[in-house]
Amino acid sequence: MKDRKVLSRDPRRYTLPSERALGAETHSYMPELCDQLRTGKINRRDFLRQAALLGMATGTVYAMADQLTGRGDVIGSAMADEMPKAGGTLRVSMRVQEMTDPATFPWTERSNVSRFMVEYLTRTGSDNVTVPYLASSWEASDDLATWVFHLNQGITWSNGDAFTSADVAHTVNRWLDPAVGSSNLGLFGAMVEEGEDGQPRGIPGAVEVIDDHTIQFNLKQPALAMPENFYNYPTAIVHRGFGVDYEADLSANPIGTGPFELAEYALGEVAILKRARDWWAGDFYLDEIHYFDHGEDTNAWIAALASQQVDMVFRLPNNLIDAAQALPFVDIHPVTTAQTAVMRFRITEAPFDNLKLRQAVAACMDHQEILDKAFQGRGQIAENHHVCPIHPEYAALPPLTRDVEKAKALLAEAGYADGITLEIANGDTEGPWMTDACAIFKNQAAPAGINIEINKMPANQYWEVWDKAPWGYTAWTHRPLGTMVLGLAYRKGVPWNEVAYDNPAFDAALDDAEGTLDVNERRKKMEVCQKLLQDDAIIPQPFWRSVYKAANKRVKGHQTHPTLYHQFHNVWLDG
Amino acid sequence: MVQLIIRRIGMMILIMLVVALLLFLINEGDPRLIARSILGPYAQDQQLNAWVIENGYDRSVIVRYFEWIGRIFSGDLGDSVIYKRPVSEIFWDRLGNTGILAGVTFVIMVLIALTLGVLAGMKEGSLQDRAISVFSIITTSIPEYASAVFLVGIFVFWLGWLPGTSSMTSGFDPVQMILPVLVLTLYGFGYIARMTRASMAEVMTTPYIRTAVLKGLPYRHIILKHALRNALIAPFTVIMLQINWLLSGVVVTEFAFGYKGFGALLLEAALRRDIFVIEACGVAAVFVAVFTQTVGDLGYTYLNPRIRFK
Repeated sequence: MKDRKVLSRDPRRYTLPSERALGAETHSYMPELCDQLRTGKINRRDFLRQAALLGMATGTVYAMADQLTGRGDVIGSAMADEMPKAGGTLRVSMRVQEMTDPATFPWTERSNVSRFMVEYLTRTGSDNVTVPYLASSWEASDDLATWVFHLNQGITWSNGDAFTSADVAHTVNRWLDPAVGSSNLGLFGAMVEEGEDGQPRGIPGAVEVIDDHTIQFNLKQPALAMPENFYNYPTAIVHRGFGVDYEADLSANPIGTGPFELAEYALGEVAILKRARDWWAGDFYLDEIHYFDHGEDTNAWIAALASQQVDMVFRLPNNLIDAAQALPFVDIHPVTTAQTAVMRFRITEAPFDNLKLRQAVAACMDHQEILDKAFQGRGQIAENHHVCPIHPEYAALPPLTRDVEKAKALLAEAGYADGITLEIANGDTEGPWMTDACAIFKNQAAPAGINIEINKMPANQYWEVWDKAPWGYTAWTHRPLGTMVLGLAYRKGVPWNEVAYDNPAFDAALDDAEGTLDVNERRKKMEVCQKLLQDDAIIPQPFWRSVYKAANKRVKGHQTHPTLYHQFHNVWLDG
Repeated sequence: MVQLIIRRIGMMILIMLVVALLLFLINEGDPRLIARSILGPYAQDQQLNAWVIENGYDRSVIVRYFEWIGRIFSGDLGDSVIYKRPVSEIFWDRLGNTGILAGVTFVIMVLIALTLGVLAGMKEGSLQDRAISVFSIITTSIPEYASAVFLVGIFVFWLGWLPGTSSMTSGFDPVQMILPVLVLTLYGFGYIARMTRASMAEVMTTPYIRTAVLKGLPYRHIILKHALRNALIAPFTVIMLQINWLLSGVVVTEFAFGYKGFGALLLEAALRRDIFVIEACGVAAVFVAVFTQTVGDLGYTYLNPRIRFK
């Protein structure tokens, strides 16, 4: 309640029309943010992102940005060019996987089927800007340690129950329960403490229901990306009876706030969603969405698109872009992303507990060569710290260069002057380019006396060992902020810390960065995090990759999401 | 003949039990391996031991083997690790799908192979014989994964005539069968055609055919009435073996076309170490292999009066 008093002294909501006029009541940081956009210190996208994070209504944010930059209503005029047609069935080629508990989803594909039934508090668009969704607005205290989310009223679950704060509280509390095994435990680290058994668990009282449509999150430390974090594939809001009144199995109990119902679901074969009611959030043009599972063979996906058995493929593998481009009725939709793969060491396992050895391996890497040869240059080089240049808080560090002599010296210091053989596990989980990348790196490391053996295994088998193998090549998906992935992957004790990284200095620096709203200030703090990861040489990371999608030209209004989330509310079919 | 049949069936059952035992020992011989495949490769010893005891895997292998056999006869194939439901719920559907694919392929493949084999063998060394022989050798030499890509490139990407996948998710569609059947037929018909050709060529050089020709019988009559029956005895065994190949050898084709069959199920189970699915598929494959071999032997004995087993 102490935190509520802080908020009540200084209410910061932006939902009333009178508050939407430029220059009216704003968050205390808004004038500074406007000034930064006006003077060019931040770009339009960063402005949109940060203003939205502060709870500004979507329309207001875009209008304000346009007015400040003199762009006018570009979005509105673009939308007016096409008149969407209602109806039709969108057919998508995608793996249809087990779909039980959204909190434990390890894959985007699972959430793509479920996201038309169970929805999210917020939504991050293809432009990387997060806007309200089930939540109508939110407020953050100045120290970013208290967040209040106001929920849309009048939303009902498909079983007739009203959507309330109790649903959100139940969902978030499940995430924070270690017994559930949700990766959100790491994502929402600011609501997590160390339990008596040394394992992370939710802090009692972190989730506080204020009233039926208001919920407050009391954090132990500032957290910048709360709204962004609420739009990850395992963060769908489920009904308050999920896992309590009935089994925590969404495919068996598909109760949601979304407009679609699960009409048919056969694991590994097909998932058919039919629109069962009007969408509370507005128009939804499609009547049905069909997901067809064509197996692991990506050639089959493209063959299905080529023969118009489907309208869209979940993703277009790099090696099939040329084939898809040759189809006259297909559009290629590229998107620049922070998707990557890291050759991460498990630093509790010998010999990778040896810092000098890790640094020797990292020193052998020529990032540009791997990008050019393994991925045809479709992306940008990475710098072994998992923060991407497209992240707003990315800090440029001195470029990394391959240095074989340095690698030899480090190897000798590590106690392997005569060389060493290391095995890297690789499952080609994102495509055969991963094996190519390993093979190129093998050649790069050989002159330093490091013999890399590639343990090639099936993708499914790799996911059994991804967080256990001493050395592995793990793919990571895009996240809109650099702080998010660092919190998920490298903070001590979080479930997805595949490196077993335990560095108090890093955790403190990350906490500091997560509590800083000003992007320029945050960048300075992220520089510390990036440098620590680079110096500890835990993740040789060759490159960031662009992602491609292919869809029939009759699919209109679609934009590829950097994380390949399916946002079809603007999608319609022409013919 | 009845005694022969009984003996053959008895042998079939014995072989099935022995092969099933091997299958069982490979998959479940070491209970800790089962526990590891379920709990993960890095599970601690304590966890593995607890799982083994909790699930009754600490009993002797023989006891567990006969229990397993008993469960199979009662229709209980265990639970799939991937699909989280009884294997029997998935297995029979998939087997049925492969049965459809294999059945259609078998009929088309055998008809084409016998026709071409007879045509080639009628006039050994002729242009017709050489053309058919070269064609069948080429198609049989191209593995299914390569011919699948070629055919998809031609009929899907270039001509746009056929669907590129055969998942049948919107119900059975005969058009979706064309490409997988074509791939399997092209790969498989060569064996039968070559065997039929060799057999036909041999028959055509026998004295009774020469006599028939010298008697002035119509050529068509000689081929259909006198040569064909004897020429088909040798390929019969090869044809029966093709049934076995069509069930367990269709993995690549089903994978390439997203066909939801037995082969794709077996591949996915193998990749994810879904041992109860692997066992069910293994037993089915062994049954079909042994059964077709037995039928092949019995049929060959029936067709060829020169062979009689005591």
